[in-house]
Amino acid sequence: MLEKLTLDGKVAVVTGGGGGLGTAISLALAEAGADIVVTDFRPKDGESAAAEVVGLGRKAVFIAADITKSEEVNSMMARAISQWGKVDILVNCAGIVREETGDRAGKPFWEITDQEWHLGIDTNLTGAFFCSRAVAKHMVERKGGKIINIASGFGLRGLRGGFMYCTAKAGVILLTMSLALSLGREGIRINAIAPGLFRTWQSKEMYDTRDPFIPVGRVGYPREIGALAVYLASDASDYVTGEVFAIDGGTLASGSAPTGYAPVIPI
Amino acid sequence: MILKEFSLEGKVAVVAGAGRSWLKALASFLAEAGADVALAGQDQKQMEEAAQEVKNLGRQAIVMPTDVTSYQQIEEMAAAVTSQWEKIDILVNSMDLQFAKPLLEVTEEEWHRVIATNLTAVFLCTKAVGKHMMERKEGKVITITSVLAERGLSNSTAYCASKGGVGQFTKALALEWARQNIRVNAIGVGWISEEAEGEEGEPKDPLVRYIPLRRLCRPDDLGALLVYLASDASSYVTGQTYFVSGGVMAHG
Repeated sequence: MLEKLTLDGKVAVVTGGGGGLGTAISLALAEAGADIVVTDFRPKDGESAAAEVVGLGRKAVFIAADITKSEEVNSMMARAISQWGKVDILVNCAGIVREETGDRAGKPFWEITDQEWHLGIDTNLTGAFFCSRAVAKHMVERKGGKIINIASGFGLRGLRGGFMYCTAKAGVILLTMSLALSLGREGIRINAIAPGLFRTWQSKEMYDTRDPFIPVGRVGYPREIGALAVYLASDASDYVTGEVFAIDGGTLASGSAPTGYAPVIPI
Repeated sequence: MILKEFSLEGKVAVVAGAGRSWLKALASFLAEAGADVALAGQDQKQMEEAAQEVKNLGRQAIVMPTDVTSYQQIEEMAAAVTSQWEKIDILVNSMDLQFAKPLLEVTEEEWHRVIATNLTAVFLCTKAVGKHMMERKEGKVITITSVLAERGLSNSTAYCASKGGVGQFTKALALEWARQNIRVNAIGVGWISEEAEGEEGEPKDPLVRYIPLRRLCRPDDLGALLVYLASDASSYVTGQTYFVSGGVMAHG
């Protein structure tokens, strides 16, 4: 049974592969035996992630692409498939909360522009749709494949000021379910990971202030997502599809009261 | 290559079972990853087969006849395991009394038995074993539950209530023990084959046709997830029910 928890001989495409979670996932998949196509719209970060994978002894290439643009996605995926003749695994990890998209920018809701709305939805939802669409037919022709969508705990709960991000991430979760139902009998498995807060940026101080708000007392380390991605990418999870796997130090188990609230009421 | 964080080398697991408990399968998954396993339950034959399977995989096993609805017996079992192996790293609660009847025919006795086996026993075993985990500020509690923890089904009031309770117990305890480094999660199983070897089910059976992946779950389908949740690999996961349902949970 355990030998199925490996990815020997597999090829994985990781979008947003140059980012904190994307790099960690790329490295974990590589450590489990996969060769990796890193794709990102940040060439420096993407090349760096690919180099780290090569440092582990696996093969890796970087292909630049803006996942909000379908022609770039289609061309990236065609190159990814021809690189080693196949793609077994797609991890849709590209996505972000950022001020340029209007989320959490501190401005009134009614000042959010059309462009900000579209950019937020495109980055966090449309990209996953474009990339999945670009690889699905190939996977069906090969009668097998795994798609892992990195959603968010904020796809299941609200976030003050996070209009585009939450809506898009909820969309990713439902896209996951519908795709799973539609492609299940073709041998394709599609699941979502809903991460909580992880240390993905350089700013240590910002995360240190968040530590006490997480039930387990700390923000997550990106490498902690790696093993879950390996499980979902591997043959060991072949009966798992359309599911959401939250990994968040207990955040979603909470949601009724502030962290640490522990009433004592005897009968 | 298998990531080293999936390893259970040096770990001690207690698998507590009642009803349809899959003791042999669960014990074998843990042993394959390197754990020594104590079996606790009342099905002597099943426990002995499970123990033999563990030993065949090169690990140690002990059989502890235990009524998992009796706190005293579970406490004695946990004390015996810790005196033999000094610690308990992993507790797997696998209580599954199957029961289905229209509500108006359900007797009080039947209701209490379903709750006692499927829910109360989870509380009792987790409390008794959890005490030992709390002393070491380390542990993994995994309860086997069902899609019926979150989905309704006719004739299944008692069963659904018992499994729903397990899900909420899991979330509440995860929060309570979060700072003590004890992770509390559950595995939600879909429609699983009654046969130990795992028949796929009759293709024309309406239930099998309802499952998006068009086959029943096999015990083997749970193995890797159990190892994941029992190991260091899931260090940031707590309060969750992870489902293995062949797509049923995504079904409209």
